[in-house]
Amino acid sequence: MADSARFQHLERFCIHYFNDRDCPKGEACNYQHKARFEVEKVRHNISEEFFLGRIRTNQRVCRFFRRGNCIHQENCHYRHDNDNSCRNLPRTNSQNNTNRNSNRSNTSTNMPSTSQTSDVVNKNIINKNQTDIDNKENDELNCPNNEEKKKLQSAEEGEEEEEEEGACASPPLNSINDSWVNAPEFVPKSISQARPRSYAEALSPDNIAEINANRKLCPYVNKDGICRNLTDCTYLHGEMCDMCERLILHPYNEEQRKRHRQECIKQHEKNMELSFAIARSKEKSCGVCFEVIMEKAIGEQRFGILPNCNHCFCLSCIRKWRQARQFENKIIRACPECRVTSDFVCPSMYWVDTKEDKEKLIDDYKTALSRKDCKYFKKGQGKCPFGNKCFYLHAFPDGSKCDVGPPPRQRRHRGVDTDIDVLQQVMLWDFLDERDFPWQSLADDLEDLVSFFYRFG
Amino acid sequence: MANIAAQRIKREFKEVIKSEEVAKCAIKVELLNDSYTELKGEIAGPPDTPYEGGNFVLEIKVPETYPFNPPKVRFITKIWHPNISSVTGAICLDILKDQWAAAMTLRTVLLSLQALLSAAEPDDPQDAVVARQYKENLEMFQLTARHWTNVYAGGPHVNSDCDEKIKRLVDMGIEDHQARAALSSYNWDLERATEQLFS
Repeated sequence: MADSARFQHLERFCIHYFNDRDCPKGEACNYQHKARFEVEKVRHNISEEFFLGRIRTNQRVCRFFRRGNCIHQENCHYRHDNDNSCRNLPRTNSQNNTNRNSNRSNTSTNMPSTSQTSDVVNKNIINKNQTDIDNKENDELNCPNNEEKKKLQSAEEGEEEEEEEGACASPPLNSINDSWVNAPEFVPKSISQARPRSYAEALSPDNIAEINANRKLCPYVNKDGICRNLTDCTYLHGEMCDMCERLILHPYNEEQRKRHRQECIKQHEKNMELSFAIARSKEKSCGVCFEVIMEKAIGEQRFGILPNCNHCFCLSCIRKWRQARQFENKIIRACPECRVTSDFVCPSMYWVDTKEDKEKLIDDYKTALSRKDCKYFKKGQGKCPFGNKCFYLHAFPDGSKCDVGPPPRQRRHRGVDTDIDVLQQVMLWDFLDERDFPWQSLADDLEDLVSFFYRFG
Repeated sequence: MANIAAQRIKREFKEVIKSEEVAKCAIKVELLNDSYTELKGEIAGPPDTPYEGGNFVLEIKVPETYPFNPPKVRFITKIWHPNISSVTGAICLDILKDQWAAAMTLRTVLLSLQALLSAAEPDDPQDAVVARQYKENLEMFQLTARHWTNVYAGGPHVNSDCDEKIKRLVDMGIEDHQARAALSSYNWDLERATEQLFS
């Protein structure tokens, strides 16, 4: 498989050369002498596999390896921490190792007396086993001689313990047997900054995380989030986002992931809002034509929202009603159902239920109108009868806004009482829909407005 | 006919047929032609009124501009009521004129008319004679209305005194309805009615 080939490839470099740019074996070294940047480059490539969810496991220390019985050995996906390996090996193994070591050192120094030393070693082992058994017996009997015997034993084992100290922080097995309650706590060897790095660390150094975070995602990923050339592509590939189901999450850049997540949630909320809006609008019928508004012809599926009551009409019907000249203003300004007077009709693609939604809708409507030039003001050339009560934009050609003041009133009404002012306003509103009418007939104009209001998507 | 009016009348028909008032036989609507422009309505006289037990037939004409304009409604069944012409059956009801609202339906119109029968508005009369009687002699008004209901709308209350007086005028060669109208207008005063008829 390509994956395992890459692993093997990685393991072929010399760790000494990686750490010190120098290898004691020099030219004779069996491993490749690769510069640090080269190894890290390979690591980049390997990180592509992240997207398949495999390499992440490599960051963790293999627990079987810690126990010393990982069957995968070199090919294990988890980290085999070479540096601390011996402390993790079971006691018996290390004992044997140390014995073997001492054996070897003896061999190297005292070549002729091999049999003698081996005898001594064997004796030692036998002795120790004897003392082990003795100790157990003593423990059971709570013998007062225990202390002395312990001293004796430690003297015997002194050499071994000294050797072990550097490699292993765990107490000797027999002292655990002795009184495991008093056993010293496990303290991992402090990791020095200058310490040479292991293979595993070389393959996942900390500084690479930062470099990785700034790497760009594969530009060849198409709309579906799939790179066609996945096996050979050297770019970084995103992880699957479970909301938009696109392979877009940056494997290393937490910020990007968070940002994308928020965008997705926002999008999701928008979609939910839209589906709720559709759900609540679907059944609504117009109080004038009695037709279900969402089932009307395309272009007529618009709601006309009255600001002061909650009765549902289609935009064309309520506008037509408000233009009925055969009735008094009071009648046509009023809701055909409840006769509550509303000053204007707000077009909407969807029905609004709650007060908050409605307020937002009307605000949006007014905002949208306020961006359109008033047809009466004509960028300063005309005069708007609605004054600053007008919903439309009163601005000069250079874009500067103009406050034309309150709508003109007839002098004789001034100061009589406020009712007349209100009446005056209502009268002015009467023109609004009429004025909206040509605007409505300009289909494009209206469409872009409506789409402006209701850009749910 | 404008599409919207026909569509709406169709829908309203379904609404009226489903309504509980139809189940109680209080109102009824029938089609007179295929274009949904002319309809026949029927309302039952409301209980505890002189119109109780009567069945009043209405002519409904749907304008092309419906529902932005009210339907034209009049009583075909003759009725003695201050707001309804005893001669033409024309109705004086604000919602059928300037107080119309586009959300109103045939059903609400018929129910409004039924309500009008139980609560007359003599200060806004259609028939001034009836309104005057209503205001000056309510008992006489109720008697007359009940008699009219009996004769024209199939009401159960027979008034033999009225029938007697009408018969005498009919015997003089006066047409039945003319005699009843004259007598009703003069509080069933036979002399004044005769005087009016022959003057």
